[in-house]
Amino acid sequence: MCIVADKVKSVSEVVRTISDGSHIALGGFAIARNVITVVHELIRQQKKNLTLSQCVMGMEADLLVGAGLVGRIILGGGSLDRFGLLACVNRARETGQVISLDYSSLSICFGYLAGALGISFIPIKSLIASEVLDRLEAGPAAEELRRMKCPFTGEDYLLLKAITPDVSLVHVQVADREGNCQIDGPRWENEEQAKAARRVIAITEELVPTEHIQRFPERTVIPAHRVEAVIHQPFGAHPTAVFGCYDYDADHLKLYVEHMKRPERVREYLETYVLSTRDHWEYLEKTGGLKRMNQLKANRIFGY
Amino acid sequence: MEEIRATEIMAAAGARELRDNDVIVVGLGLPQVAAVLAKRTHAPGLTSLLEIGVVNMNPVDTPVGLADSRIFYRSTCWSGFLDILGMNLHRGIVDVGFLGALEVDRFGNINTTLLKEAPGKVRYINGSSGGNDVASLAKRVIIIMRHEKRKLPMALAHLTSPGFVGGKSRREMGLRGEGPHRVVTNMAILGFDPETHAASLLSLHPGIRVEEVVANTGFPLRVPKEVAVTPLPTPEELRLLREEIDPQRAYLG
Repeated sequence: MCIVADKVKSVSEVVRTISDGSHIALGGFAIARNVITVVHELIRQQKKNLTLSQCVMGMEADLLVGAGLVGRIILGGGSLDRFGLLACVNRARETGQVISLDYSSLSICFGYLAGALGISFIPIKSLIASEVLDRLEAGPAAEELRRMKCPFTGEDYLLLKAITPDVSLVHVQVADREGNCQIDGPRWENEEQAKAARRVIAITEELVPTEHIQRFPERTVIPAHRVEAVIHQPFGAHPTAVFGCYDYDADHLKLYVEHMKRPERVREYLETYVLSTRDHWEYLEKTGGLKRMNQLKANRIFGY
Repeated sequence: MEEIRATEIMAAAGARELRDNDVIVVGLGLPQVAAVLAKRTHAPGLTSLLEIGVVNMNPVDTPVGLADSRIFYRSTCWSGFLDILGMNLHRGIVDVGFLGALEVDRFGNINTTLLKEAPGKVRYINGSSGGNDVASLAKRVIIIMRHEKRKLPMALAHLTSPGFVGGKSRREMGLRGEGPHRVVTNMAILGFDPETHAASLLSLHPGIRVEEVVANTGFPLRVPKEVAVTPLPTPEELRLLREEIDPQRAYLG
C-alpha cells in the first residue's frame, strides 16, 4: 500500500524547527505519558525563553524549567504524584525566575477547547471568587480575562481567552507514518490541546502500518491531517508511565526528586542524563538499559 | 486485633459521608481511599470520577496518585478533563467533590497552592488542578485533612478554592455549587452553619476531647452542648482498608 506522506522524523531535526520563545503545550500528566524524548532534545539544543502550558504539569515541565529554558508557565497545577513536588517549577515560581499564570485544570482545558473550536473566548463558572482569579487579574493575565453577564439569562460568567499554542507535543502508544495517533487509557486534555495548536508533533512508542489504524479507527484521537511530524521512540516517556506499554520507573523518579530538590544538584542530573547523552537510546542505556526496560514492561492484562 | 489508626477512622468517616448513587469527583490521596471504601461497602451505586479521565476506578493495586495506570485498569470509561470537569462537573450533575487541603479556614475556603514561611517568603506546593473547579461547581464539598492549628488558620496563605468567602452565601458569590459540607480530620468531623456559614464541631472521634480539637484549630470553632462521637470503622471496613485498598499503607500511614 502506498503511503500518502511519510512524516517520521528524527527528534533532533524536529526540535531544530522549534524556535526560541515558542509557546509549547505539553501532553503529559504528572508521571504519565510525558514527552521526555523531546524535552531532553530541547535541553540539548538549549532553547530559550519558552512558554509552557498544560492542565497538570509533571516531570517534563520540571526538567525544562530546571534547565532554565522557560520564561513563562500557564498551568492548572502539577506534581509527581506521591513521588513528590515539582521542585524546579516551584523554586522558579518562588524566585520569580518564571512568570507563572496559575489557573485550574478546567480553565486551561476550556482555553484549549476554545482554541480548538476556533472561537476567541469561552465562558466558565469556576475560578470566580478565588485568589486564583484575583492574582491572574492583577498580573500579566489581566488581558486574557473578562467578566460578563450572560445576555440570555443574566448569569455571571468569567470569560477566558482561547489558548492557541505554537506547538503541541504528545506522546502516544501507537501511530502510523502518516501521523494517525491512537491513545490507550485516559486522554486528559490531549485532544483539545493538540487541536488548539498550530503545529502538532507526536512521539510514538510503536510505529504501525496504516492497516492497523484502519482496523481500530475508534482509537484514533488525533488524525493524520492534524499532525506535522512523528517521532518514533520506544520507552520515549521513561521514567514516566505509558499505559499498556510500561510502568513508571519508581527508582529513577526517586533519584530525580532527590537531585531536583537541591538547586546545586540540578546541573548534575542534567549533565548525567541529558547533556552527556547523544539521544534517547543513550539515555536509556544510562538508566538501566534493556534489562531495566524489560522489568518495567506492562503486564498485558493490567497495562502496567 | 491491631489498634485502629486515625487515618483509618478518617477514611471510614469520609466514606460514610458518601451516599449510594452519588456522583463524585475525587482528588488525590485519602479521598481516593475513602471513595473506594464507600463503593465496596454501603454505596455500590457510587460513581467516582477522576479529572484525568477515569470513571469508576476499581484498582487491584494501590495507585500512587491520579496519573497511575493502576487506577486506569478496570475502570468503566476513559475520557479526559473536558468530560469529567466539563460535561459532568460544569454541567452540574456532580453531587460531591471530595478534596484534600493544605489549609482550610472557618468558611471552608481551601488552600492547595502555597504556604507562607516568613513575611514576604512563600513556598509553593502545588496549585488548584481541578480543586477550584470542584469547589466552585460540586453540589457539596467534603474535605479530608489532618487536624493541626496551622492547617486550620484564621487567614489562609492563599485562597485557591472557594467555600463561603468572607462568610458570604454561594448565590452572592455567583457560584453554582452549594459549597463546603464537611471537613473530616483525624480528630473530628466539622460542618457548616446554614446561616453564618461558619464551621462547627459535629462529631469527635473516639478518645478525642473537645478541648483538644479547639486547641488544634486556628479559628474559633462553634461547639454545640452535645457533641456526637464518630463511629469507629467496622471490622469489615478495616479488613478492606488493610487487605485490599491500601495494604502497603501508602495513604493510611
